[in-house]
Amino acid sequence: MWTCPPPLASLSSLVAPPTLLDRHLVFVTGKGGAGKSTVTAALALLASRAGKRVLACEVNAPQERLAPLLRAPAGEGLREARPGLHVLDVRPRAAMREYGLKVLRFQAVYHAVFENRLMQYFLRAIPSLSELVVLGKILHEARSLEPGGRPRWDLVLVDAPATGHALQLLRVPSALLDTLPGGPVRRDAEWMARMLVDPVRTAVAIVTLPEELPVNEAIELDAEVGGVLGMARAALFVNAVPTSRSSPEEARALSALAAAPPPLGPAARAAALAATRAERAGRQLARACDAIDAPATVLPLLPTAGWGPPEIEALAGAIAEGWARGEGG
Amino acid sequence: MSALGQSLAGRRVAVCVGAGGVGKTSLAAALALARALAGGKALVCTIDPARRLANALGLTALGNAESRVPAARLAQAGLAPPGQLFAMMLDVKRTWDDLIVRHAPDPARRDRILRNRLYQQMSAALAGSQEYMAMEKLHELAEDRDYDLIVLDTPPTAHALDFLDAPTRILDFLGSDAARVLLAPAVGVGRLGLRLAQLSGGYAARALARFTGQQALSDLGEFLQSFQGMYDGFKARAAAVRALLARPEAGFVLVTSSSPAAVAETLAFHGRLRAEAMPLAGLVVNRLTPDLWPYPSPLPGAAELLPPLAQAATSGGGPGTSRAALAERLAAALAEHQALVWAERSALAPLLEEVRVPCAMVPRLEGEVHDLAGLATLAAAL
Repeated sequence: MWTCPPPLASLSSLVAPPTLLDRHLVFVTGKGGAGKSTVTAALALLASRAGKRVLACEVNAPQERLAPLLRAPAGEGLREARPGLHVLDVRPRAAMREYGLKVLRFQAVYHAVFENRLMQYFLRAIPSLSELVVLGKILHEARSLEPGGRPRWDLVLVDAPATGHALQLLRVPSALLDTLPGGPVRRDAEWMARMLVDPVRTAVAIVTLPEELPVNEAIELDAEVGGVLGMARAALFVNAVPTSRSSPEEARALSALAAAPPPLGPAARAAALAATRAERAGRQLARACDAIDAPATVLPLLPTAGWGPPEIEALAGAIAEGWARGEGG
Repeated sequence: MSALGQSLAGRRVAVCVGAGGVGKTSLAAALALARALAGGKALVCTIDPARRLANALGLTALGNAESRVPAARLAQAGLAPPGQLFAMMLDVKRTWDDLIVRHAPDPARRDRILRNRLYQQMSAALAGSQEYMAMEKLHELAEDRDYDLIVLDTPPTAHALDFLDAPTRILDFLGSDAARVLLAPAVGVGRLGLRLAQLSGGYAARALARFTGQQALSDLGEFLQSFQGMYDGFKARAAAVRALLARPEAGFVLVTSSSPAAVAETLAFHGRLRAEAMPLAGLVVNRLTPDLWPYPSPLPGAAELLPPLAQAATSGGGPGTSRAALAERLAAALAEHQALVWAERSALAPLLEEVRVPCAMVPRLEGEVHDLAGLATLAAAL
């Protein structure tokens, strides 16, 4: 659909590509349960500590996750978690209202039309309209300016839905360009589609686990994002990677001791299990890194019964350590 | 037989629900396999399964075809079930088309709908469309086939139990007379409609057209008009699906892992099912880390491991590895392992407290679970 790349792309080939947090808009996605929300929260924390003004968004969450992870007050709309870091749960209805007001200009008209119960049916029935307004709200934030002319946010981070739904969301502007011959929605779809494929401003970060199916899904997602959507992939996070203190040979010797009475048996079994698991995870990790052409960051398996601000601190620390070792970023 | 096995033994329909990433599809397949191993004729109906699992079940494409997992393939995995295992992948678009074909009063109307641009998009992409069609297909399978057990793997939905709401939501829209009247100016229906539209909806429709463009609105109007008269058939069908789910021969199986996020979602699912008075067949907690220290004494330190290690007279590590260092590593490995066990246990505590149904605790399998042998191990653990 885009016959020529956006102008900034050609510039970027002259300089090193921007690192993840230098982008203005980052969508974090991956298989359900891989840890998208926690990675998004940790990235938001890191970026805001680096002095950036950050907006961390989630999309119509059944239960809000980012706000409690980042110590932001519960509620609706934009909320400050700490100086320079805001959270927002983008809900279709509020986004629709905002968009409707923008297009129709008058509050009274909006109320007559959009708050009408019948009209609610339409808005739900017109395919992709709610995805469009949700994505539109996020992209609008990412390009909004302060009165002085500087961008309102240095970085907008999106805790996007899981793989399939995220692709559906990101595909909406180009799908609408295919179906709508004209009108304001088409004009909005045009700028949105351009913004998504701008590799300097916008990128996707993929979160996965070092297991076979999540890695398969990450590889397919990477191909879709790059090939079909034409978006940049700026980072791969391999989450919850187990480690082992024993070499594979030692683990084999230890398996023979697993049947010994306690305390030796259970300890030997734990060490052997850890080694097997680490070895298997290592294979999947290597597979993901080989197949996905984005800088990879390896995050450790953290035993936790619940995620809250202290666990996000620990995860942010692990990401920063990985980047200091020269991984990812 | 486990409590969950007993609870499922009397049912013909099992609907697996759970958060993303908990192994729901594998478990759905394992439940069907377990019934086949017990001599029954079982079908697992999945939506967009991972390729490996699809291959394991011999599924190559969408298309709503129920295909039997060949005996030879099962034999390769060391399985010789006395019953039969079938699998199918739901094709959402095809299920919609079948519905339209069944309910359309005449070929002209049928073709007008199938050709409508908005219908084509809606059938593929409308939110809730997958869920609606999964329910629709389930009804057809339960009514028209002779399976002893049908296991439905629900789509990984972001919102708790969308599939309970989606049929009603979509049908409310399709059947809304008022909606047709409101759109009348866009399509030019009969005189009465037009007059009503001028009174109330004309302005709204014009405002809406500003939003979407006139063409999209005309498509919508045409679609709704064609749909007129078919609504009752659809509505009766959706009511029948709901009734089927509420019958005691059907049951929901909650699938979770011990991750805090999955536990929270499972609690939400459970609350919703209770509120809707849906029968709950059981709970599966998947991928548990095995408890290696179920003893009252504290975890051993390196000093306590050293004597038995010496006694075992093993070289342990390679040359140059001192036995004391090995004892340190073993103590640390056990402590780390048990930290995971205890974290999982406290994450699960609120769920096990709240959800009082037959429950299966499935340990994390160290081998592959995405082939038939893996599914068999899973089935045995159920």
